[in-house]
Amino acid sequence: MKSQIGVYICHCGLNIANTVDVEQVREFARILPNVAIARNYTYMCSDPGQALITNDIRDLGLTHVVVASCSPRMHEPTFRATIHKAGLNPYVLEMANIREQCSWVHSDRTLATLKAMDLIASAVAKVALLVPLQEREVKVTQSALVIGGGIAGMTATLDIANAGFQVCLVEKQTHLGGRVAQLDTTFPTQERVADLLAPVLRAITTHPNIRVITNADVEKVDGFIGNFRATIRARPTFVDAMKCDACGKCVDACPVNVPDAFDANLTTRRAIYRAPDARFVIDARACSFVQDRVCRSDPRCAAVCDRNAIDFSQTENLVEINIGAIIVATGAATFDATKKPELGFGTYSNVITSLQFERLAARQELQSVKDVVFVSCVGSRDATTGNTYCSRVCCMVNAKQARRIQEKFPDARVTVFYADVRAFGKGHEEFYDAVRKTGVRYRRGYVSEIFAAGGQTPKRDQKLIVRAEDTLIQKPIEVSADLVVLGIGMTPRAETNEIANVLGLPRSGDGFLLEIHPKLRPVETAVDGVFLAGACQGPKDIVDTIAQARAAASSAFASLCRGQVKIESATARVDEEVCAGCGLCVATCPYGAPALIARTGTARVNQVLCKGCGACEAACPSKAIQVMQCTPRQVLAQIAVLA
Amino acid sequence: MPNSALVIGGGIAGIQTALDIADAGFHVYLVEKEPSVGGRMAQLDKTFPTLDCSACILTPKMVDVARHPNIELITYSEVCNITNGASDFYATIKKKPRYVDTNKCTGCGSCAEACRLKGRVTDTFNAGMGKRSAIYVPFPQAVPLKYTVDPTQCVYLTRGVCGKTFLCKDACKADAIDFTQKEEIVELNVGAIVVATGFDPFDAALKPELGYGIYPNVITSLQFERLSSASGPTAGKILLNGKEPREVVFVQCVGSRDVTTGNLYCSRVCCMITAKHAHLVKDKIHDANVTIFYADMRAFGKGFEEFYDRVRAEGVNYRRGYVSEIYAAGGQTPKRDGKLVVRSEDTLIGKPIETTADLVVLSVGLVPRVETNTLAQILQLTNSSDGFLAEAHPKMLPVDTKINGVYLAGVAQGPKDIPDAVAHAKAAASAAIVRLRSRQSSVASQQ
Ligand SMILES: Cc1cc2nc3c(=O)[nH]c(=O)nc-3n(C[C@H](O)[C@H](O)[C@H](O)COP(=O)(O)OP(=O)(O)OC[C@H]3O[C@@H](n4cnc5c(N)ncnc54)[C@H](O)[C@@H]3O)c2cc1C
Ligand SMILES: Cc1cc2nc3c(=O)[nH]c(=O)nc-3n(C[C@H](O)[C@H](O)[C@H](O)COP(=O)(O)OP(=O)(O)OC[C@H]3O[C@@H](n4cnc5c(N)ncnc54)[C@H](O)[C@@H]3O)c2cc1C
Ligand code: SF4
Repeated sequence: MKSQIGVYICHCGLNIANTVDVEQVREFARILPNVAIARNYTYMCSDPGQALITNDIRDLGLTHVVVASCSPRMHEPTFRATIHKAGLNPYVLEMANIREQCSWVHSDRTLATLKAMDLIASAVAKVALLVPLQEREVKVTQSALVIGGGIAGMTATLDIANAGFQVCLVEKQTHLGGRVAQLDTTFPTQERVADLLAPVLRAITTHPNIRVITNADVEKVDGFIGNFRATIRARPTFVDAMKCDACGKCVDACPVNVPDAFDANLTTRRAIYRAPDARFVIDARACSFVQDRVCRSDPRCAAVCDRNAIDFSQTENLVEINIGAIIVATGAATFDATKKPELGFGTYSNVITSLQFERLAARQELQSVKDVVFVSCVGSRDATTGNTYCSRVCCMVNAKQARRIQEKFPDARVTVFYADVRAFGKGHEEFYDAVRKTGVRYRRGYVSEIFAAGGQTPKRDQKLIVRAEDTLIQKPIEVSADLVVLGIGMTPRAETNEIANVLGLPRSGDGFLLEIHPKLRPVETAVDGVFLAGACQGPKDIVDTIAQARAAASSAFASLCRGQVKIESATARVDEEVCAGCGLCVATCPYGAPALIARTGTARVNQVLCKGCGACEAACPSKAIQVMQCTPRQVLAQIAVLA
Repeated sequence: MPNSALVIGGGIAGIQTALDIADAGFHVYLVEKEPSVGGRMAQLDKTFPTLDCSACILTPKMVDVARHPNIELITYSEVCNITNGASDFYATIKKKPRYVDTNKCTGCGSCAEACRLKGRVTDTFNAGMGKRSAIYVPFPQAVPLKYTVDPTQCVYLTRGVCGKTFLCKDACKADAIDFTQKEEIVELNVGAIVVATGFDPFDAALKPELGYGIYPNVITSLQFERLSSASGPTAGKILLNGKEPREVVFVQCVGSRDVTTGNLYCSRVCCMITAKHAHLVKDKIHDANVTIFYADMRAFGKGFEEFYDRVRAEGVNYRRGYVSEIYAAGGQTPKRDGKLVVRSEDTLIGKPIETTADLVVLSVGLVPRVETNTLAQILQLTNSSDGFLAEAHPKMLPVDTKINGVYLAGVAQGPKDIPDAVAHAKAAASAAIVRLRSRQSSVASQQ
């Protein structure tokens, strides 16, 4: 059957009509091959514009439609729906972008009109070759996996569970809470973080829809939106929580001492220890018995435990779950201050990080001091460390901690060196004002060096000299200090690559996980059904983390609630007669859609995973792969009319 | 339907909230007081730090809300009363008369062409930088694309008669213009409410020393957006009275972090807006001299610091300083196009300095909408000390309010850029979805 093509040229108000002579274009289009009708109209996307198309399909029996208007990203769904309503397959539509690619970027009316004609001629050449495609939906497993049990992961978990779905929350450490669990108070409200966290932890651990797996890693994820399958490796703690009565005798028996990471290495703990959530666990890496089946201590932990709670026979556990959506909430690390040796961290015991300050404050071990200096932007906005980004929280962390010192020790002289004070959140500027009123001195300056006052050999508790350039008075200055607190930045976790690889997620230039659109889709990723929450996407304070975590939950709801999800129809298909089974497509596809079928030795593209990007089509040396609606035949026809 | 949600405000935040709730399968009423959805973002040219064209990323979302089978768009309407039921709300919506039958209007624009006041009514969408008719659409991509008669301007509506004949009515081939339209009242029963009413820009005239309203070449950042926008009054050329400025000065923190205006808070977006504008000036007028006076450069979001670095590398002059006065170069009488002098104290070198300028752009802060208090009363919400609507807890509950079932989205809760407003809006959607779903299941279990 000969095709009957309708061409519809939009004025877009004046957006197109001002630069393109739409009437001339219409006359040109009318006499193109197979064109049954060509019309122009002010706004094709408006209801009356759409009515022109539907009437013509009905009255003239159109088989294919070309709309010459804005970008297909804008209105392709609109016009697909229009022609579908009139009984055509939604995929026999082609759009000629004569706005973004023509009227908006050209000023010469004659040339722009000619270009619009070319674009339309090429769309007409292609449209007749388009094949009807089926819109496809797949079923969704109505449960979710959340990776990371910090405030972001817990918040997202609670929302999804409260909406009635099962959620599995996987945390790498033995306890939930993430970074926030290490903090003492929070800016700008100065509330105790433990008080804020307690109700969240309680809600998580008592919720019937939530399964928490701590001390675990997500090892493998297969599948696609709505139908993921995750393998989780849960490590043993070697302590039977049901039996343990937390007497603590085991700890006294343990001969191994290791730095306590939870206390930011300010203290040490044993290999068996009371974790932050009060459960007793064995740190497998520190325990010599777990590692080498020997322990120097006699009697060792297992022997002193009256309740036989210690069980070295525990093994790793592989858990497999099916889920429809995944939320990644793996948080951030803190900058390693030893990477800036000029600041003396690791050399002088009275140079500490802001995280250590939190632990000292939380442990109520802040000691009376006279001169305290806070240094901002340590490991942020600093090309020498490779971290050019701003860590977004450190200014306020400094302010909070400076205020804490000033209020606790009113006689102390507290100085904050800063570059710009970024007090941008709700109530932050007011907090910053209040901090300055307590007597804290803010000096705009770049700290270049911190060294011992007395001489070369660093002594404990010795006075330090902080050398800086005060950029306000443009002179180098020196300030002495009993305590220096480095406002360390947030950095991507060292293991970000692992989780990115498991899920196939790209990372942004700063190393954090990448959202799909920085403005309008801040929690979606390149992988459908996988969402980001919290500091894994970039530094954030608690409140922004919570907002983003709930946003991720909201995105997950779209498919979880419906139980169905639409997937791309214009996918790649392999011609198995032609395919030589070289596997280049398998290596090329960013979504893991093609696979070699052992039986036939040829490739096949998983239609659900394929996004129709065309990478494989370009890579295939035998030209065995075609992406529907973008086949060589269709594209060459487009090019041919332009030649 | 009690198992539906009411979203108040159709800016990017309200649009996103409505889409998310609707995608989860619930019915949404989206009430917008203006003739079109889109909010402030529709007025923007490009967006930092990616320089995406604002219209290009926003308008598809506007079309999505209009097309979504679960969303009922109620534009040019306001919420005038809310009563709280046991676990639901009854909302009274006032639909203002457009004096145009939206079923008939094709959006062709012949009425506006014909209007007696064509080119004489200040165009608020263009931030006062252009003129329109008394019958109008705010912008060509408006959703819905239906004309509205401005009742404060229309000669007939203000004086009772418009010449011998209604020019607009005569011009309309669809016979859509209907001056007999009356206000309509719609009653809705909903299970959740999201407030996404956004912000107003700070009124720069409140700082008379900066010369806004006195010198035509002192403009606000919102006006700059229109000036720079391809769909704006100068078709995207940075022109003042037909001339390109050579020296451009930007002033930050106008109406933010400023006790004298009562706005102690930081508006969170103006630093980056100014960086973006400086880039656009440099992009369009390569040899322009661009100076920015700032207090602290707050480039905190993802990719922001990198953008700030890029702008400085383009040759934009950042000077840390407080601008105390802007006045005409020549003498007392303000002239059009006159050179201006910007007097400031450069706090880095500790000396007062004077900089000349052909164009001064005031980076105005974000302030609560004038009608925030009325709305707060209707909904029984409270304001924070900065005047924006108060969330239930500043750290842990950024979208909840003290009323169960009422949530906040976007700048209505406090200044935010677009990504943060979108995240916040989605968070509000999540809160509403959780509530609607648990209502659903409790109803189901009762049956
Ligand atoms: C010194 C300091 C002080 C701060 N003070 C404040 C303050 O006062 N107020 C404020 O608002 N913010 C403050 N912050 C910021 C706050 O800590 C963050 O906003 C918050 O921790 C972000 O939460 P999150 O859940 O995204 O990440 P995290 O807290 O980092 O949690 C991530 C969780 O995921 C787990 N995880 C990581 N990888 C995996 C994996 N592969 N599999 C499973 N689990 C994994 C981690 O173990 C962790 O439990 C401060 C930050 C620092 C460094
Ligand atoms: C000059 C300028 C430039 C900017 N540039 C950028 C940028 O480049 N990048 C960026 O990320 N951000 C930028 N922003 C910030 C951006 O504009 C905001 O983040 C965004 O508009 C917030 O959206 P919103 O929906 O919360 O509020 P709004 O956009 O204000 O929308 C609120 C909506 O609610 C409606 N409404 C108000 N009250 C009522 C009521 N009572 N009943 C019904 N409806 C009501 C309004 O009419 C409006 O449509 C800029 C802001 C300004 C001022
Ligand atoms: S078209 Fe793209 S997504 Fe589909 S199989 Fe080929 S490479 Fe993968």
